[in-house]
Amino acid sequence: MERIDGYAPIREYALVGDGRTTALIARDGAVDWLCLPNVDSPSVFARVLDSDRGGSFRLEPGVPYEAERRYQDNSNVLETTFTTAEGVVRVTDAMTLTDDDRLSPLRELCRKVEALRGTIPLRWSFDPRFGYGERRTELDRRAGRWFAHSGTECVALGAWNVGEITANGATVGGELKLREGDSAVLELSAAHKEPAVLPSRDDVERRLAQTARFWPRWAGRIRYDGPWRDAVVRSVLALKLLVYAPSGAMVAAPTASFPEWIGGSRNWDYRLTWLRDASWALDALIRLGIDDEAHAFFWWFMHASRVTQPRLQILYKVDGSAHSKERELSELAGYRRSAPVRVGNGAADQVQLDVYGSVLDAIWLYVQDVGHVDGDTGKEIAKIADYVAEHWRERDSGIWEVRAETTHFTQSKALCWVALDRACKLAERGLIPDRCDRWSAAADEIRAFVDKESWDAERNSYVRAPDLRELDASLLTMAILSYDDPAGERLRGTVAAVERELRQGPFVYRYRGEDGVGGEEGAFLTCSFWLVDALARQGRLDDARRLMDELVGLANDVGLYSEEIDPNSAEFLGNFPQGLTHLALVNAAHSIEDAQ
Amino acid sequence: MSLWGALAGGVVGTIVLTSGLRIAQELGWTRMDIPLLLGTVFTDDRSRASVIGYAVHFVNGLLFAVGYYAIFRAVDHAGWIFGAVLGVVHASFSGGALVTVLLPAVHPRMGTPWSDSEETPILEPPGFMLVNYGRRTAVWTLLVHVAYGAIVGGFAAQLS
Repeated sequence: MERIDGYAPIREYALVGDGRTTALIARDGAVDWLCLPNVDSPSVFARVLDSDRGGSFRLEPGVPYEAERRYQDNSNVLETTFTTAEGVVRVTDAMTLTDDDRLSPLRELCRKVEALRGTIPLRWSFDPRFGYGERRTELDRRAGRWFAHSGTECVALGAWNVGEITANGATVGGELKLREGDSAVLELSAAHKEPAVLPSRDDVERRLAQTARFWPRWAGRIRYDGPWRDAVVRSVLALKLLVYAPSGAMVAAPTASFPEWIGGSRNWDYRLTWLRDASWALDALIRLGIDDEAHAFFWWFMHASRVTQPRLQILYKVDGSAHSKERELSELAGYRRSAPVRVGNGAADQVQLDVYGSVLDAIWLYVQDVGHVDGDTGKEIAKIADYVAEHWRERDSGIWEVRAETTHFTQSKALCWVALDRACKLAERGLIPDRCDRWSAAADEIRAFVDKESWDAERNSYVRAPDLRELDASLLTMAILSYDDPAGERLRGTVAAVERELRQGPFVYRYRGEDGVGGEEGAFLTCSFWLVDALARQGRLDDARRLMDELVGLANDVGLYSEEIDPNSAEFLGNFPQGLTHLALVNAAHSIEDAQ
Repeated sequence: MSLWGALAGGVVGTIVLTSGLRIAQELGWTRMDIPLLLGTVFTDDRSRASVIGYAVHFVNGLLFAVGYYAIFRAVDHAGWIFGAVLGVVHASFSGGALVTVLLPAVHPRMGTPWSDSEETPILEPPGFMLVNYGRRTAVWTLLVHVAYGAIVGGFAAQLS
């Protein structure tokens, strides 16, 4: 793996996590991204956003090597095997899970090194930089440990059998030689507003072993024996890392400001939860038998949105708060000089009408699984449907959160129809107050509007908006969410038009037109999986399978996907790993299996 | 001057002291977490430790109020200023000896020069005047103890 100006290709990262936060580890053994204590907290390691100032935790052979990686079977414990001329060494990385039996650190990253063959020289460095590298980090040595701290944040370094440790400024590190059969452990123990917990090596290794045992047990709940099972299981394990366990919310991705084009300005913070992902998540998780997480996510978004209901905000923080102020970190250079670096997300204030369809569809999926909702929740759902019936005529920013002028996006209108359709179904079951006459009338109006204003007879396709006569890959969701018969003439024409105008090989662009943000972007991987899904629902199974095979082959070496991809180089772009991409993969695999 | 007054002051003062330390944590001024430090004397479980720690701290607040009352009786004077002066002494004792020396000596999970994290996971030791938990910890500890002392002294003087 070659770094460019200190930056590893996004494809070269793997993810570990503990249900609270996650760390990105490059193939060369560097932990380049870690936010503490939670996934949306400021970073301690952010070398991905600034190779000089961001900070990292490096560990690699001191001689030329080849690296191979894998997750231990059905787990989120990462193994990197370095092969050198002198021998072979394995590094096992994991964020350990809470230990009920012993006092354990608030968050813990464990790195165990084992020499498998020969004698291998290794070097390591621990260079934490608090607050995205903006805050002063102090380093001192106490009680036999190194502590890096800033305000109420602290990380303590545990190091066993790593030889002499030297300090240089706020960085500590060293070199070691492990002989065959030897092992060493490096451990980061994080504290937040509390004293640090300093475990023994035995404790650390015991927690690592417990964590390694936990994941296959959890993955054993996945009910799926269809095609591309390995890719589906890996996707679900990756999605589990995106779930913030204390609330059940699922972040869109665990990173901020990974660029959608190298050198570009489309750099956004995805460490938030989009309600739009709700229906995709519930559909995927419920069908896979991951009911606990699906139900937790359902109740999280029902509670989080309560402060704004019946209006729904498009995104919320993982703790359920509705405010996410966007700001630029001007001192960070950005991934390969892709500036600005943004944290927080200003899209929170946008109107995106598609969110109502996603939420009502998610509620419908939940009810089908559980069979009921309580009376108060039913009344809230009915009020949301009323709101849709009143507001569907408004302009919005659409599913892609364009920062250009608002307009009447076709997909937004179609998902308003979906919202009202699901509300009527819920009312028919007697689960919510029945105002179906009113909702049906509004749904008919929506359909008339979409079919008249958003249809382009020449293209034989729906278009992005009445005033934007171009294709938009989000129109594929009209087939997936049953706006109409997927095999009907209009949706067949629309899918064909998307293939014709937005597809390049296995890659699908979101759109080609303007969106109010300058610069280029890659193809959107979710849209490729949506295309698979739509093709399967239209009975074009051979096409769907062929495309799915190609897409599964595009994952990185540990089965993860980013948000976007450069169709020319297959370089990953955008935040990583992207939950929506993995959800779309799972749902596409399911759709093919169902169609078979 | 009354014992009941001192105890009432102990209740209010402990609430103010505990809240003050919690606010300091939220403001990013200290990592000192008294309920966790006290609760982990009894259990490894973090959640239970915090609950137990709050209870122990509350009882300690009442016991110290009794101690304050004994001093008030001995000198035959109570008042918020005198209580605040005792608060300074109390803070010095807490930061300089109680949490720094005595608590680690009896705490099964707190680091000392003679403890070994290979035997049990240990809590980061506080250091002299609690400075390991943040440089402003000592200042804030002094302020909340002065507030505690003033409240106990004031209540003891006013309630009879």
